[in-house]
Amino acid sequence: MTNGWIDIKNTDMMLIMGGNPAENHPCGFKWAMEAKRNRNAKIISVDPRFTRTSATADLFLQIRAGTDIAFLGGLIRYAIENNRIAKEYLVNYTNASFIVKEGFKLPEDGLYSGFDSATGKYDLSTWNYEGTGGSGGQAGSTGHAPEPTPGKVGGAVPPPALPTDVSYDLTLQHPRCVFQLLKQQYSRYTPDVVERITGIPKDQYLKAIDLFTSVRKDGDMKKVATIIYAVGWTQHTFGTQIIRTAAMIQLLLGNVGRAGGGVNALRGHSNIQGATDMAGLYDSLPGYLKAPALTDTDLAAYLKRTTPTASKPTPWASFNYYSNTPKFVVSLLKSFYGDAATKENGFAFDYLPKAGQDCSWTHIWEDMYNGKIKGMLAFGMNGVMIGPDTNKNINALKKADWLVVGEIYEDETSEFWRAPGISPEEQKNINTTVYRLPCAGFAEKDGTMTNSARWVTWKYAAVPPPGQARLDQDIIAQIFLRVRDLYKKEGGKFPDPILNLSWAYADAAHPPLAQVAMELNGKALADLKDDVTGQVIKAGQQLPGFAWLKDDGTTMCGNWIYSGMWTEAGSQVQRRGTEDPSGMGVFPNWAWSWPANRRILYNRASCNPEGKPWDADRKQIWWNEAAGKWVGNDVPDFKPDSHPNDHMGPFIMNPEGIGRLFAPIGVLADGPFPEHYEPIESPVKNPFHPEQSNNPLVKKFNTPFDKFGSPEEYSIVCTTYRLTEQYHYWTKNNPMNVQLIPEPFVEIPVELADEKGIRGTDKIKVISARGTYIAKAFVTRRLKPMMIDGKKVYQIGLPIHQGFRGIQEDKDRDARTPANLLTPAVTDPNAHTPESKGFLVKVEKA
Amino acid sequence: MSQAATELIRISGHAGVVPGKGLNREFQVCKLVDTTTCIGCKACEVACLEWNGYTFSETTFDNTYQTMPETAWNYWNLIKFNEHERADGTMMLLMRKDQCMHCADPGCLAACPADAAIVQYANGIVDFQEANCIGCGYCMTGCPFNIPKFDPPSRKVFKCTLCNDRVSVGLEPACIKACPTGCLHFGTKSEMKELAETRATQLRENSGFQDAGVYDPAGVGGTHVIYVLHDAKNPELYGGLPKDPHVPLSVRLWKGPLKWIGNFGMIFGVVGVFIHYLRFGPKVVKEDEQESHGGTP
Amino acid sequence: MSREPYLLSNGRVLRYSFRERLVHWLAGISYVYLLLTGLAFWSPWLFWIAVVLGGPTTSRELHPWFGLIFFVGVWLMYDMWHRQMKETPADKAWWAAIGHYIRNEDDQVPSADRFNPGQKLLFWGFFWNAIVLLLTGLILWLPQYIPWDLRFLRLAAVFIHPVCALATIALFIIHVYMGTAMERGAFGSVIRGDVSRAWADKHHHTWYEQILRGSAARK
Repeated sequence: MTNGWIDIKNTDMMLIMGGNPAENHPCGFKWAMEAKRNRNAKIISVDPRFTRTSATADLFLQIRAGTDIAFLGGLIRYAIENNRIAKEYLVNYTNASFIVKEGFKLPEDGLYSGFDSATGKYDLSTWNYEGTGGSGGQAGSTGHAPEPTPGKVGGAVPPPALPTDVSYDLTLQHPRCVFQLLKQQYSRYTPDVVERITGIPKDQYLKAIDLFTSVRKDGDMKKVATIIYAVGWTQHTFGTQIIRTAAMIQLLLGNVGRAGGGVNALRGHSNIQGATDMAGLYDSLPGYLKAPALTDTDLAAYLKRTTPTASKPTPWASFNYYSNTPKFVVSLLKSFYGDAATKENGFAFDYLPKAGQDCSWTHIWEDMYNGKIKGMLAFGMNGVMIGPDTNKNINALKKADWLVVGEIYEDETSEFWRAPGISPEEQKNINTTVYRLPCAGFAEKDGTMTNSARWVTWKYAAVPPPGQARLDQDIIAQIFLRVRDLYKKEGGKFPDPILNLSWAYADAAHPPLAQVAMELNGKALADLKDDVTGQVIKAGQQLPGFAWLKDDGTTMCGNWIYSGMWTEAGSQVQRRGTEDPSGMGVFPNWAWSWPANRRILYNRASCNPEGKPWDADRKQIWWNEAAGKWVGNDVPDFKPDSHPNDHMGPFIMNPEGIGRLFAPIGVLADGPFPEHYEPIESPVKNPFHPEQSNNPLVKKFNTPFDKFGSPEEYSIVCTTYRLTEQYHYWTKNNPMNVQLIPEPFVEIPVELADEKGIRGTDKIKVISARGTYIAKAFVTRRLKPMMIDGKKVYQIGLPIHQGFRGIQEDKDRDARTPANLLTPAVTDPNAHTPESKGFLVKVEKA
Repeated sequence: MSQAATELIRISGHAGVVPGKGLNREFQVCKLVDTTTCIGCKACEVACLEWNGYTFSETTFDNTYQTMPETAWNYWNLIKFNEHERADGTMMLLMRKDQCMHCADPGCLAACPADAAIVQYANGIVDFQEANCIGCGYCMTGCPFNIPKFDPPSRKVFKCTLCNDRVSVGLEPACIKACPTGCLHFGTKSEMKELAETRATQLRENSGFQDAGVYDPAGVGGTHVIYVLHDAKNPELYGGLPKDPHVPLSVRLWKGPLKWIGNFGMIFGVVGVFIHYLRFGPKVVKEDEQESHGGTP
Repeated sequence: MSREPYLLSNGRVLRYSFRERLVHWLAGISYVYLLLTGLAFWSPWLFWIAVVLGGPTTSRELHPWFGLIFFVGVWLMYDMWHRQMKETPADKAWWAAIGHYIRNEDDQVPSADRFNPGQKLLFWGFFWNAIVLLLTGLILWLPQYIPWDLRFLRLAAVFIHPVCALATIALFIIHVYMGTAMERGAFGSVIRGDVSRAWADKHHHTWYEQILRGSAARK
């Protein structure tokens, strides 16, 4: 989240889309209810079905799964057309005025300029600003490393760079300025087209977008709107672009950086934010640093590629905080390799693995299926259930040599070899050795959890792990120590990274997580002195924050964004101060949020260019002329002493310093502006460009399990979701949850049920090209038939919680099938999230 | 010790009135359920179960999110779900927490024949004392909300106690503690009524629910569990909340006029026959007369 | 009909056979239990009766069972006596003379058959009320099986059951009064079964005449 949970209570307007917080974040949703009760805040709920969130909403719109960009694009068009934009904010804090290079083409035909159909990739050079200078890195993007020339390490063509001095037009009239291009891009997204694509009747749609944009009626800045979403947006082959559209709307409306505003992702697990912060993804290093690529021949090359230089209109200033990348990286390497990381050896950069291919989720299973991956350690990760395409995953595991599952109960992954449909004969032929390690449950371990609001909170173990269950860090430590010993004794291919890995814990086999946390915070490795303030930090002391990180090896830090969480003053994450002087839910002394305990990101944008808050009643930070710095109720997410006259951009993590309406050169691989693409399995062709219906960068796999269905045979759109009463795949082992929701079901419209002669609680089959899901029908009025581009389309949905192992499952009551049997293994090209929502099925009585 | 007992009535050397003397202190508690901010998460269901020490039972899917069709002897509070389509075609999913209403004029208590099986406290809580329950089920008949539920093995009836054990030590009921959205509120009846009316007004003025209102039925003397409803004119939409609940007429008649008539009748009957005997004596058969006179036949 | 000759060797008349007496007491004793426990549930002032009779829960448990026993008794009595209890033309005159009957001016009262109209009233009164008590009693016994939609049955039962009970109590008060204090010899008739000839002649003259004729015929 750019903002936070409690901050939601400050909002005037909520668009809840691609998310169902009432059901999946009931405790956090309290704050939405507070906003409703205390501020008369309005809620607009847009979802494929009427959920318990919709039940509290002022307006509900049923949308076809996967058509969110059409909806949001139409919203942009409406906002611009009706002058419901934050003009001053737009001009000063976004790249609306930046002029884009000649040669850039919008995707009227579904493709941006630069697409090479032979390679299936984009040449990004036209996706850039016009301007001069610029030989720096790749603009701090989340973009991808340049393609290596096969067989050749290094020497690839350097990617295009942003100009250091960007051409701009503050009147926003230049035909190639971002604002005009934006207008042009979404001029196609008329309410009629939106109705054709999404199935939302025009009058309802207009009512909703009118309501949402009313916060900026006539450009008045007082009110604030927030956009709240979850995996209803991310789980598409264009998921990141959906979120981009939302970010653009919030920039257009001037809601980012303000209390009650922002772009707010609701994470689906109590520490998934922590997992992504710590680089649980193959293409990043802790703190969202870029993972090294094959083309990074050494540290210098890597830093050159990944350290952006500022790119902006000349009179403006840009903090360009990622210019400090070398400090973060070197400190990280020092934390990994300690004394073995020296200036001479590029701080052991060579020890870091470089991925030569996509190693994201679906590729892992593909590689395992093809025999490239021999074994897997799965910790608290039920891969067979998480999917997509459960059958493919099961068949991949059949081919693996070994599987280690660390869990608190027997899960489907560790039991893949006796999944329903596998005969005893076939079981005999499965040669995978499965090891089950009993692990500690969440109440049995301490450590930190990072929530959606980026608040890092230390938690304490309530009870010790039972029986032989061990703590996760103990298991990993002990595996590491033994592997290291083996390398010591037997040698091997390039053992240096293992042998030299820093492991300086009080008890190597049982590393205390407090020590790990201190390591993440970072410490000085030599005496450090701040030339400006004179402050001194002695060697061995915890660092106060990332501003102290150095690129010369005198500091170490396991994750720069977590620097400040465990300082010499103590563990900040254990704080429980309940003071909230501003009354806005900041609670500055409760736990610790990254970065630097800032609760709302980009909060400089809560003020106008002169440094005065847009809304005096919801002041966050402001410029104090006398003190010569930014002060307020939150930690400024900004250079503290930058005078408003410097015109430094609030979006300090971008090299431009501004929020991007236009995302240049590969920030997102599939386009600088989001474009509506159909889900890979769709009932209709894309009304905008039927010949390029889908995202051109989406790849399909070719195993026998990667089948796709045609809309003629599979005419029903299917989506998947969670319920309040169950949590993913493990609460089916808990009597309480099983009591509340005892059986799997499929929610189908009354009309569809009547057509097929299905009554509520009849067993039915939901069939996709990949598998069959069997459950009882839940005939409901909360899902209505839709008219999509003139065609009647049904939409159904199913919760994901049951599988083939659990309390009821073990009693052999009904066939219980994983929901992901149905879903396709196609992913978003940027975040690699699978398209679990919006695929095609057919429905039959069982 | 009751708060009233330690109220000040006289203070020495004091100018002016005795602070707080004669204040009408309110002891009546009340639970406010705001159905407009309920998300049907069932935390209240689980909290109730856990606090009262009941185990989880087997349930079946019945084409609804509702955990079971009705409350049970061991499941005292239940969210009832109703998919309601309005006249203009918009959808509502009405979710109402169903539990004992703790009526001021409880039908269960009126109908119960067993001494002290049901008690009502000054704070409004109506509590079943299972030790004194005879298992006749009359409370089930007296209740207009279908709340008391019978447990065949123990042959006793059970219902929500408004967490009397918690309330009496100054804690809020378990359901209220567990509710994540704060749609459940607890306080004095007047506080909760005021809060409810404010919320209902807010709904009418700001959310387009012209018929929003507070459900505090006068037919049972008002209740210590009140609801804010989007549509107070149609409470039946909320999982069968009765529109005009009251103690059933037959119970009133039985406990009222019939009691008087019956008691009078029985007493009159016994007294009557006694008076008849005094007046007219027994029917005597001739042979008895002869015997009584001692004469020979 | 008993095979025993009505005129007994000891000079007395057989009023009620062994079977009849057994059934009467089956009904009577169970009724008394029902009455006592019923009164306990009727009035808080009399709740102590249930306490004394083995506890309130036990009383509630057993009341319906005794109700069944009582109903069996009533059914058997119906089986035995319903023909003799039928209304006859002579009853009208008897009811017209009810004032005399109450004032013990029995010579002014027309002759009665085996059962006088007052007894017939008692019989039918108990019979019909017993049926309604049984039906409403079943509902009250197992209220948890009456679904909410049919709760009008429970609501009706809760009122009708005591109404009928009161009706039987009224009959019972008079019946016990008459059977003990009012009619000397009546109590003996339902214990030992026999009455004196004079008793039979006075209270059930028509029936006595039939017996004499019958035995005369048999002689």
